[in-house]
This record gives sequence, C-alpha cells and structure tokens, in this order.
Amino acid sequence: MSESITLQAIDLSRRFGQNLAVANISITVPRGTRVGIVGADGAGKTTLLQMLAGILDPSSGSCRVFDYDSRRQSKKIATRIGYMSQGFTLYDRLSVDENLEFFARLHDVTNEQYQLRRNTLLQMAGLTAFTQRPAGQLSGGMRKKLSLCTNLVHEPELLILDEPGLGVDPLSRRQLWEMLDRFRQQEVTTIVATSYMDEAMRCDRVLLLQDGKLLADSTPDSLLEQLKGRVFSISFDSATAPEEVVAKALRRIQGTHSIQRLPDRFRCVTDDAEFEKRVASELRTNITVKPAAPKLEDLFVLHSGEQFGEKPLDLTTLAPKKYNSGVRTENLSIRFGNFTAVDGVSLTVDGGELLALLGPNGAGKTTMIRAFCGLAVIGEGSAVVAGEAVSTTNRNLKRQIGYMSQKFSLYLDMTAAENLAFFANLYGLSGKVAQTAIDWASSVTGLNVPLQTLATELSGAVRQRLALACSILHQPAVLFLDEPTSGIDPISRYRFWDVIRTLVSAGMTVIVTTHYLDEAAYCDRLALMMSGRLISHGTRDELAHSLALAPDTDMETLFLQAVARATSAEQVGGVV
Amino acid sequence: MNYRRMTALLTKETRELVRDPVTIVLAAIMPLIMLFLFGYAINLDVDELALGIYDQDNTPMSRMLVDRFASSPYFEIIEYSHSTHDLERSMQRSQIRAGIVIPSGFSRRVLRNQPAPVQVIIDGGYPVIARLGLAYIDAVVASFPKPQPDLVGVETRVWYNPSLSSITFVVPGLFAVILMAFPPLLTALAIVREKETGSVSQIYASPLHSSEYILGKLLPYASVAFLEILMVILVGFAWFKVPIAGSLPLLFFASLIYVFTTVGIGLLVSSIARTQLAAMLLTLIITLMPSFLFSGFLFPIFTMPFGLQLYSQLFPANYFMEVSRGILLKGLGIEAVIPNLLLLIIYTLVVFIFATCRMKQKVA
Repeated sequence: MSESITLQAIDLSRRFGQNLAVANISITVPRGTRVGIVGADGAGKTTLLQMLAGILDPSSGSCRVFDYDSRRQSKKIATRIGYMSQGFTLYDRLSVDENLEFFARLHDVTNEQYQLRRNTLLQMAGLTAFTQRPAGQLSGGMRKKLSLCTNLVHEPELLILDEPGLGVDPLSRRQLWEMLDRFRQQEVTTIVATSYMDEAMRCDRVLLLQDGKLLADSTPDSLLEQLKGRVFSISFDSATAPEEVVAKALRRIQGTHSIQRLPDRFRCVTDDAEFEKRVASELRTNITVKPAAPKLEDLFVLHSGEQFGEKPLDLTTLAPKKYNSGVRTENLSIRFGNFTAVDGVSLTVDGGELLALLGPNGAGKTTMIRAFCGLAVIGEGSAVVAGEAVSTTNRNLKRQIGYMSQKFSLYLDMTAAENLAFFANLYGLSGKVAQTAIDWASSVTGLNVPLQTLATELSGAVRQRLALACSILHQPAVLFLDEPTSGIDPISRYRFWDVIRTLVSAGMTVIVTTHYLDEAAYCDRLALMMSGRLISHGTRDELAHSLALAPDTDMETLFLQAVARATSAEQVGGVV
Repeated sequence: MNYRRMTALLTKETRELVRDPVTIVLAAIMPLIMLFLFGYAINLDVDELALGIYDQDNTPMSRMLVDRFASSPYFEIIEYSHSTHDLERSMQRSQIRAGIVIPSGFSRRVLRNQPAPVQVIIDGGYPVIARLGLAYIDAVVASFPKPQPDLVGVETRVWYNPSLSSITFVVPGLFAVILMAFPPLLTALAIVREKETGSVSQIYASPLHSSEYILGKLLPYASVAFLEILMVILVGFAWFKVPIAGSLPLLFFASLIYVFTTVGIGLLVSSIARTQLAAMLLTLIITLMPSFLFSGFLFPIFTMPFGLQLYSQLFPANYFMEVSRGILLKGLGIEAVIPNLLLLIIYTLVVFIFATCRMKQKVA
C-alpha cells in the first residue's frame, strides 16, 4: 500500500447472528479525500464505519488503515484517527474544558500542544465563553461541535464521523462543516456517514449502501443527476380536486416509486420521464406538477426498486361511519404532586384534522394523551374528546378513541390474527361483527400478509400496519399515534401516512405525538409544547409567519426557532 | 503502560464519580444503613424469653424455683397458668416461647431425695432460640439447691466472645459482606454505563490500552471501597463497641487486598454484561447472595455438607471473613492469617487476568 492511500478495505463483511449487516464491501480511500456514506436506516453505515475505525472486527475480508491491519493493529491505527460515534460521545458531568483535556491526554497530546490547539478549536467552535459549563448543559449543536473538537485535538490524519449532523440545528451544522473544511486543507482524510443531501454534496465521493451492500460509488453530482427529472411536487386546489381524488389518480400511474402525501401537496419519485403529462391526463383538474428539490431519501427509494403502485391499497371499504367530532381542551392542567406536567393548555382540534403534538422529552405530550384516554386525573380545566367529557370514570370515552404506539401495542408471541381477535374482543366486538371489523381494518391498512404469522416474525413495517389495524377495529372517532413511524423504511412510511391521511379525509381525527420532525411534516397543524405549556400552534405557514420566517422554512428551523423564543421568554421572567 | 493516558482516565472517572449524587449515596450511605440494619436485626441472643408457668405443686419449694426464673435476666414470666390448656393456648398465640409445668408432689419428692422431674415445653419454630432457651432452663433447674451435690461438675469458659453476644460476631462478618455488596456493583455500573451510552466506542478508538483502561477505571472505585471499609470499621468500633483484639494495621492491609478482589469481580461482571440492569442482577447473584449464605457470615461452613463446603470456597467473602474475625476476635497475627490472605491474592490475580483477557476493546 502506497503512502498516498489512507485506507483500503477488501471484501469487508460483518455478520450479527443470522443478519448480514455489511456484505463484501471493497473501497480504497486516497489521502486527503472526503468520502460520504449514505443509506437508509439499517443499511449498515455504522457497522461499516466501526470496522474502518478498527473497533469492530470484520467477519470476513480485511481492512488496512495506514497499512496497519484493523484486526490486530487497531491500537496503532487509533493513534492516528479520530472517530466520532453517533449519539453521546461526551461526559455530561465534565465541563467543556475537562472533556477536551481528557481526549487530548488520551491521545498523547503534550501540554504545550494542547494549550495551543485548545484555543484555536474552542474559538472555531464558538465555545470560548462556555469552557466551564458541564457538557450536559450544552445545546445539541454545541455538543456536536465539542465532540468534533475532541476528535480534532490530536490532529488525526483520518477522521471518521457517524452522522455528525443528526439532531443539530442548521446553523451549528453549517459551523460544523466550516470546521471540517478548515481541516481538509491540511490533507485530512474524512469518511462521513450522513442523511442530508447538502452534506453529501460536500464530499468528493459518495458511497450508497443498501442492506449492507455497496450500491454505488460515485461523485455526488452523478447521484444528483440520477434524481434529475425524477422527483416531483404536485399541488392541488382542494375545491376543484379533492385530496382523495388526486391520491387515487397518482396511485394509478405506473412506474411511481413513492407517493409522499403531505398536507398541501404530494411528492413523488418516478421512473416515468413523461410523469407530468401522465398526471395531467389522469387528472384534468386544477393541479400543478413541478420538479422538487431532491433528497437523499429519494435516492434510497429509487434504488430499492420497489414500486408504490405495485401494491395498491384497497381503501374502497372505508368510512362506513361518519365521524365529525374532535378534541377540545380548556385551560387543562395536570399535576403530579408539586410537578405540573400539563400547564393550562387550551387547544381545539376539529373533526377530521391531523394534528402533530411536538416537543422535547418531558414537554407533557404523553401526559396529555394519557388524560385524553382517561388514564390521568385532570387537575384543573376540562377536556372533551369525541363529544365525551374526559374523566377517568367515563366508560363511553374508551369506545371513541384508538391508541397506537409502535413499541407496545402488540403481543409478539401471538399471531397477527390472534392479535386482531384479542383487540376486537377488548372493544366488545364478537362473532360476525368482529370478523367484519377485522376484515375492514386489515384491508384499510393494507395488511396483506398471512395472518397466521407470529407478530415477532413480521418486519417492522408490517408490524406497524398490524398495530394500526388493531387500534382502529372499533372505528374510533379520535386516534392517537405515538411516534408511529420511527425506524421504518421510507416507502413503508409513505404508505402508512397515505393510510392515515385517507382516514383523516374520511373524518377521523388523528393526533400524533412525536419528536421526529419528519413525522410532523405530514400533519395539517402543529402544536408545540414545552415544559407543560402550549407554546404555539397553527399550520406550518402560520407558524413560520408568527416567527417571521419564510413560508417554506424547513420543519427543523421552525421548531428550533419556536423553542428558542419560548426559552428566552421564560428567562426574561415567565412572560409569554 | 502509559502513565499520562492512565491518569487522564483516572481523573475523568474521579470527577464523574464525585459529581454523581447517586454514586455518592450508594457508596457512602448504603453501607452504613446495612451496618445498622444488620447490626441490630441479626440478634441471635436470648434474653427475656417469654415464659409461662403452671405450678401444680404450689408449695414454698416450687415457688422458690419459680422465683429463680423470675429473677433471671434471660427470662420474663408472662403468665401464671392454671391449666395445661391455658399454657397451650398462649403458646399457640406466640405470647410465650416456653412453658414450665411443676407437677404436684414436686417438693415432697425433693425432700425425700427422689428424682423430681419438671416438664418443659418449648416452641421449636426457631431452633436456635429453642436450643439456647433449653440450655438456660437446664442451668436454672440444675443450680437449684440439692441436698446432695453432684460429684462431677462442668466449669465452662467461652473464648473470643466471652459474652456470647451476636454483635461481636455479626459486625466483623459484615465487613466482608458490605465490601462484597457495593464496590463490585459501583465498578460494574461505571463501566457498563459507558457501554450503554456508547461513549465507550470513543475510548476503544483511542490509543488507550486495556491495562491502562482497567487501572484508570478501578483505582477510583478501589479508593471508594477502601474508604467504605474504614468508615464501617470506625462505626463498628465506636457505635457497636466491637472489641479489637488484634492489630488494626493488619486488618487495613488485609482489607486493601480484599478491596481489589471485590472491584476485580465488578470488572469481570462488566466484561460480560451489556446493560446496567444485567450488570446489577449479575453482581447481586455472584456477590451479595453467596456472601450471605456461603461465607460463614451467619451459617457456619464447617457444618455444611462436604459438597457445599467446596462450593463455598468459590466465594472470596469466605476467606476475608476468616481473616476479619480472626484479627478482631481472636487477635490473630500475620502468621495465622497469611494462608487466607494468599488465597485472596491468588483469587484476585485470577479474576484480573480473566477480565483483562475478556476486555477486547472492540464494540462486539
């Protein structure tokens, strides 16, 4: 291996039990290049990075870094690399300074070198004013920047970064990449996993992973080229072209990989070069088809080869019942001892509306939903759900509501059919009525698997559809979803939201609690909660307007701005 | 072995440890709570044994015998019954633990120099108490003046714990148990916590070697454990008035060795467990439980079946128990405790070698 090559992997594979996480990947990375690794959740990005960093041994194949073997000479490699894992990499109880110093000494940086580099790094990261603050009290963006500093303090020749931009506000993300650009001038080789298009565009080469296999190794421009003329945004005027009519028309078009159903428009990835004409011929009404800005996710959809139209959802049997009642709270407060979990929330959700309840952990979202389900005692104020007054003793309430959380609502040791039968029983349905309900719910959710399969053997996406079917058997007027699509592949996610929006257009009221902003994008209205209070609510455009931001501002910026505003109001003296 | 890297980790661990209120409470308060709970709860002594008396004889001589029980600190006469039926009922209600029936004709028989039996009924539900109670009752009856004294007498003398008090026996044993309960738990949690959050992968991807990692992680927790034992010994001495027959420095030295055994076990657990919950359960199963049952803390090992005696040798609490009681109660010197200390040292070395081999510094 010559001096100019930093890393060479040959036939690298890694198995976890039966599961092949990374399969036969060979790459050569010349010195000074920046390589991006992209792929959907579970594509094997983290496993590959860990093997390249020498902290995970490959099941077969070999990897050489600076001409050292990653299996046997990992400590030799370690002196010359920086590896930033996803998630928590800092020690919360140590201050900014203490964290940085710890990693410096761990990497044999001398005191003189450290003093010199510390100032430069902290200045670059904008952390100079916070050196004494414990890392646990830094914002997400500051934490990531400090993490990067701890990996740069020993001036590594190879930097391996696992999703550095995840959960970081856009401004901090930009600063993070400015730091990386500076170090790039010193011929630092960088390998970075990412799920953002703009980050991938900053790389020299991009590797596309899917199910552990290397699908493409190309320049970012050629990836973008693949998506050119493939991604479209379809907006419609609901007066002349009802949402449901547009959805049906789009499903009929062959060669469409994905239909993403957002509140005011659809977004499609298609093979069809004539897509715009096709849509126009299917729908002669007032619609606008425009090319949309491509995302990395579109690339995964395109390469998965699956076609959305292949399994059309049978939604014809939907809506045997007319729903029209939503949720209304007035000055709702819930207390646990001295702690106020929900603090004076007044919120109205109309019948047939899809609302996202957003907020960081501990904002009071879950407590409020528990109250709506009759599981928490209301301290002050009142709440009405589907025409029923909310209280822990109102038995009629339970018949009007459905609840689904992906993690907890199924019995994994029972078959799909047994799960459905159990929940039907729970809602007091039996015999023919139960069977009709099960058939209806399975067809609505597109549950097209043998129902005799054990729930534990179903894939995450199918399990989620089963959970949804179980929660709507009794055709509730109000449905609560708790982070329903976390960890699901993009196409299944689009399908799920397609079903949900169809239910909503039939009059069902759906409230989604989540802290994934991606899920909020599918909802009509957003309600932001923090420390038990409702800090703002409205449509996306309304929120953007109230925060003096552009109407097409992305969800992330919107959320962070709203939180920042609420936080500063709190610090001023509780004045909202 | 790089000193700078090791101390970097050591400093970091110490800082995290002193800033974590949960660890502080677990390290400082829990051993004391355990010491007080067990110091008071485990009481195998018999005093004021609840007694019922049915005196059928009712003569000056029988009343003299009853007076002997009444004046003894070991007994408390709860009731004077008027039938065996009454006595039985009180026994069933656990109002009394023992009953004494003095048959009619007792004094007549004594005066005629005939054998004069006294019936004793005792609640065998707690065998230890029953056995002790019987012995005390025997002693009271035996000391009853006889016209003709026994020719052969027994003169007993109890060594090492002359007052036969439970505290003197329980507290030195608790040292071994408490040190086996908390330091391994703290150590295992500290290492597994980093595995759980994922920050350990940063350490794996650094030049830090296994030996540096182990020392840097263990030394702070070993110091905490040593402080714990000092605290427990001090409280045992000052509060429970446990006598110290032997040399304190020797006890400290032995404790130091034992401290490394315990944190070594924590290290071993952390190399197996992946979650804090698993680490906690595993630690409880391999440290706390056997140190109660198979260390001689409450149940003597020499009375166990041979197989279990061998099994009990697997747990190091056993060795330290001998050393701790030997020094504190018997006043043993270094030459007498050295075999057990050597066993502890070997045990510790084996645990460390095993844990170091398992500590591969890889994610999976």
